[in-house]
This record gives sequence, C-alpha cells and structure tokens, in this order.
Amino acid sequence: MMRYETGGLDYRTARACHECDLLQYIPILKNREVARCQRCKALLKRVHVLSLERSLAFAITGLILFFVANLFPLISLKALGVMQHGTLFSATLSLFEAGMPFLGMLMLFTTILFPLFSLCGTIYVLLSIRMNHYSQWIAPMFRFLRSTDAWGMLEIFLLALIVAAVKLVDITELYIGVSLYAFLLLIGTLTILNLVLNPEDVWDHLRKHAI
Amino acid sequence: MITAREAGLISCDFCHSLNRPCIDDADGQSKLQMHCHVCGSVIHSRTPNSISKTWALVIAALILYIPANVLPIMTVVLWGNGAPDNIMSGVLSLLSAGMWPLALLIFVASIVIPIAKLLTLFGLLISVQVHSTWRPAERTQLYRLTEFIGRWSMIDIFVIGILVALVQFGNVATVTPGMGALCFAAVVILTMIAAHTFDPRYIWDAIEKESTHE
Repeated sequence: MMRYETGGLDYRTARACHECDLLQYIPILKNREVARCQRCKALLKRVHVLSLERSLAFAITGLILFFVANLFPLISLKALGVMQHGTLFSATLSLFEAGMPFLGMLMLFTTILFPLFSLCGTIYVLLSIRMNHYSQWIAPMFRFLRSTDAWGMLEIFLLALIVAAVKLVDITELYIGVSLYAFLLLIGTLTILNLVLNPEDVWDHLRKHAI
Repeated sequence: MITAREAGLISCDFCHSLNRPCIDDADGQSKLQMHCHVCGSVIHSRTPNSISKTWALVIAALILYIPANVLPIMTVVLWGNGAPDNIMSGVLSLLSAGMWPLALLIFVASIVIPIAKLLTLFGLLISVQVHSTWRPAERTQLYRLTEFIGRWSMIDIFVIGILVALVQFGNVATVTPGMGALCFAAVVILTMIAAHTFDPRYIWDAIEKESTHE
C-alpha cells in the first residue's frame, strides 16, 4: 500500500480538526482521557473502555423505557371532578387538534420519532459491529443518526413538563403518572448513552473494515 | 502547523477520516474522488456556500423574530376570562405570580438565548467576511456554545404543547396555541440550522491566508 506523506504527517493516521482543519496526530489515550485540538481546543477523541458494549446495553434499556414511558400518562390533572391525562403523545395530538399542524409535526419528530429512531438505529449499528456483520447500510445509518442527534429533545420536554406542572400546581390538583418514572429513567439512560457512546469507536471499526 | 486543505486532503465531516481527493488509478490517470472512502458521504474541504446560506437563514430568523414576539403565543381562558399572551407578557405574568425562578428560566430560554444566538451568528459572519484574525480560539468557542445551547429555546414551545394537552375543560378552562408560537418555533429551527451550516473552519482560514502572505 502506498503511503502519502504530507508535511511529515502520514495521512492514514493523522487527523484534521473538524473545527479548524489543523492536521495533527492524536496520541494514544488511556481510559477516560480526552484529546483536544492543539489550536482551537475542539474535542477530537475520548476513550472509554468497552464503549460500544456499554452503549448497546444502555440503548436497549432506553428502548424498553421509551415504550413504558409512552404506555401510561406522565402527569394527570384533576379539576371539577374531571381527570385529564397527559401522555408524551397527547402533546403532539393536541397541537394537531388545535389547528397547528406544523407545531404538531415538530413535537412528533423531536419527542417521538427522532428519539425512537435514534435508539433503534444505535442498536442496529452496535449489534452489527458486535456480530462483525458490516452491511452497506451501517455507514449511512450512523451518519443519519449523528446528523439528527441534536433534534431529539426529550430532555427539553422534561424541563418543559416541570415548568408546566409548576404553573398548574396552584390552580388544580396534579397527579404523577406511572410513566413519569420511566420517563425520568429514560432521560438518565439517554444522557449516559450520550456520554458513553463514542462515535469515533464506531468510525474506527468502519475504517478498519474499509481499508 | 499545516491544515488538511494546505496538504491537499479533505477531512470527512462525519467520520473525520482524511481523504485524498486526487487518486491515481491503475492507468496513471488522476481522477477526483469526492466521496469519503470510509463512510461514503460527500466530502468537501469547507461546507459549500456556508457563509451565504448562514446569512440567508439568520436574516430569515431575524424577520420571523418580530412576529414571534408580537403575536400571541397562547391564550389561557379561565372561567371565560383570558387574554392572549406573548412571550414577554408570559414572563411578566409568571413574575407577578411570584414564580421568579420559572420566569427567569423562560426569560433566558425564550428571550436571552435567541437574541444572543442571532447576534453571535451575525458577529461571526461579519468577522469571517472581513477576514478578521482577532481571537480565533475565542470565536470558535463562542460558535461551539451557540451550537450547543440553541435547542434549549424550544422549551417554551413544549410548555405550550403540554398545557394545550392538559388544560381542556370545556367552558371552564382552555389553552389554545397562537401564531406567535409557530413563528417562534420557526426562529429556533432556522437558527439551529444556521448554526449547523456555519463552518467554523472559515474563522481559521483568515490566519492561514495571513501567514502565506508574509
């Protein structure tokens, strides 16, 4: 295999910073160490042992919790003897019914479709790597997951739920639904998944396979 | 210190693999390879038309920011009484109800962050267009913060969605969303896309140019 030397750097092992384009080598890191760009301090690489295995476990946990969080009401409200239940999906539904289809779509994508697809896609990619089965779909799938990462907004929904609950608690009686516990655990799981899942590890596997 | 572009290499935006766009094939002819050899995505040294696209998105967001603040975001009707609220009056009514932590949260998420984000993007765009070499590391840091924090502005939209779903008690109490919420959601989405479209590598290109002129 021919080796291209560029300014003393071998381009097969060097890395360009994605935020300032500076070519540099990433030193070999120990567990929990982080490599930052020499020039702009962008995060280039971090290392967690068993990153992919742990991520897979958290992603499967997340998927189960996602279903539980959608089954029962998150929060219920009682006024004048009438109970009103609020589920994750009812916020989407009510915006459609209120004649705001655009906001309904936004809600549907950011709180249901993107999180669900992200969990399923992550499980698919990680399982494929674990079983050493590299299909042509892994790279496009993982690319899609990375680019839609910012659009899954469940943690923002949780904060909004707290704000709404505080607004309503003076006026009416509020009851915590069963799914709220699952939802809280889901947010925790997704946060840990985000910390543990190291995209570089996935790309490293694909790189090894491509070369 | 050499950048990937100076070395004739292109770093993939997704998997950060370095690609050599010119490959000599078996016949000795060089051809252009504009797909990443690892993940297959389209590669480019800098996001194409990044600056003009970001300008367009920021200006669109700025225009929509006016109706987002003037038009009502929601109307709460309790026992037949109720007036439409816009973003600022919602914050003020929370404040007058004594819920100042909540008022502060909504004030930061719905007013401070969108304005700060629009101003930051304007500043970054202008600094890139005049080839400024002023504090590139800090400007990159500012960009990173802008990209990270923008999505939290969505909180007000979600609060409206939850209230509309929960408070449906016929004639006694209802909450209906207003057009302001739609405009505000559009502002948040447009600025999120604008921050994503802006390529921070342009900030550092001015320095590269300066050092080659010397």
